[in-house]
Amino acid sequence: MKRLLVVAGIAFLLVAPLLTSNAFFQHLMIMVLFWTLLGASWNLLGGFAGQVSFGHATFLGIGAYTTMLFYLSLQLSPWLGMLAGGVFGALFALPIGLICFRLRGPYFSLATLAVAEIARLVALNWEQLTAGPVGLLITTLPQVSIAGHAINWESKIPFCYLAAGLTLFAMGLTYAVSRSRLGAYLTAVREDIDSAEAIGIDTVRTRVIALALSAFVVGLAGSFYALYFRYIDPDAVFAISLSVEMVFIAVVGGLATTAGPIVGAIVLVTISEIFRDRFAAGHLIFYGLFMMLVIRYLPEGIWGRLRLLLRLTRG
Amino acid sequence: MALLKISALRKDFGGLRAVSDLSFELRKGEILGLIGPNGAGKTTVFNLITGFIPPTEGQVLLEGQSLIGLRPYAIVKKGIARTFQIVKPFRNLSVLENVTLATFLHEPSRSKAETKAMVTLRRVALAEKHAVNASDLTLGEQKRLEIARALATDPKILFLDEPMGGLNPTEVESACALVQRIRQDGITVILVEHHMKAIMAVSDRVIVLNYGVKIADGAPQDVVRNRDVISAYLGEQGP
Repeated sequence: MKRLLVVAGIAFLLVAPLLTSNAFFQHLMIMVLFWTLLGASWNLLGGFAGQVSFGHATFLGIGAYTTMLFYLSLQLSPWLGMLAGGVFGALFALPIGLICFRLRGPYFSLATLAVAEIARLVALNWEQLTAGPVGLLITTLPQVSIAGHAINWESKIPFCYLAAGLTLFAMGLTYAVSRSRLGAYLTAVREDIDSAEAIGIDTVRTRVIALALSAFVVGLAGSFYALYFRYIDPDAVFAISLSVEMVFIAVVGGLATTAGPIVGAIVLVTISEIFRDRFAAGHLIFYGLFMMLVIRYLPEGIWGRLRLLLRLTRG
Repeated sequence: MALLKISALRKDFGGLRAVSDLSFELRKGEILGLIGPNGAGKTTVFNLITGFIPPTEGQVLLEGQSLIGLRPYAIVKKGIARTFQIVKPFRNLSVLENVTLATFLHEPSRSKAETKAMVTLRRVALAEKHAVNASDLTLGEQKRLEIARALATDPKILFLDEPMGGLNPTEVESACALVQRIRQDGITVILVEHHMKAIMAVSDRVIVLNYGVKIADGAPQDVVRNRDVISAYLGEQGP
């Protein structure tokens, strides 16, 4: 059953980009995958370890700027640039984690919010490096060919596959973590930090590892953002709204689940497009209302509730 | 040589001296009771030794090695495990998972860790509840789960913070028997307890704290006759 879902999902990802030539629907699919990627990486720390970060845009921005700067200054290939985006995200996560994880619960969340704002202000004012509010622009992406076929960067289809690949990687990573000893330790940290320490778990190190993994994937997503939109500025990639949206995706889908973020992203991206279409300027009011209803009636998330129901019907 | 040697341990919370120049030794294989009126600093002493609060001054030596400055997880690895006065189980996890997480400290394989965890659960008579959510246990069972989790880290010394608080008389009796069995398994035990009958029955030696100061240290039957101890608990005798 589970395996069937996974195979069906991958098959769908392979054919879906070819089903429509409508650029809007292709863009929508890319956005769903992009948000799944972000939700899944946030979930690694926020869901499994219960460490609610309101500052994950920090790592998205770092990933985006890393890729952009390496490409513009050194002509580094986008693939390597992407890897660099992830690695830089993870590297920055280490000191941030060591500082912020001295704090617990809401204090940690506030600290991450502050970190994201600091990152945004640095990017805004360090004009020699980031060009400040003007932002960075890539006019053309380099020729890249796979198996003899040159990739047409003007089409959205290569980005569909790229996003699909990254998302599968993030979900695979989430699954691997959930089955590992690290995953068990993260659960212990979420349930009770004092008890976790009392059974010999280095709770700071465990949380820093989770944050670094999470930041690596968010960094990759930031790189993807830079390549896909080809334009970034501090207010776009370090925005608080990005950080908060990641939380929504994970919460609506289901905290600490592998498939939750994909459900969250599909529902929220679709709903926000529909609301934008129906309610024009008032769409955020209805979006907020929807969030309130989900949190009130489905606290374990949509996928979380489905999984619970499946378990009940089975046994 | 003493297994654990505490010397001149002091803790100030702002202007309040919670523990004052406390020195004592813990001998291998003994059961040491730590008693005193409410607010005497018993739990603070536990927190200082197990690394949850850094001491203002003083030294803690485990087999000659200093524990000062180590974080709690590192002290657990050295062989001191503890329970909490107010139980802190991993509420949304099963009883077995609670103990398995602690077994992971020395056993990386999940299946082997689970087998070992079941053995530990049998030691505290919780094996038949292994599939139950920790939050669904009674208080007595949760206290035993705390002990099981601490035992699963394979300690040399076990710190028990009020393992009998809130238990009914039958449960207190079986808790006393459990503490005795733990000692027979070669683990040194230090326990904070208000239940005087239990502490008298189970301890080899008793230390009494009052306002962070050690006022008595000796065999249980001698300590209860000590004038300082009586006045600490009951107040000074009138003229």
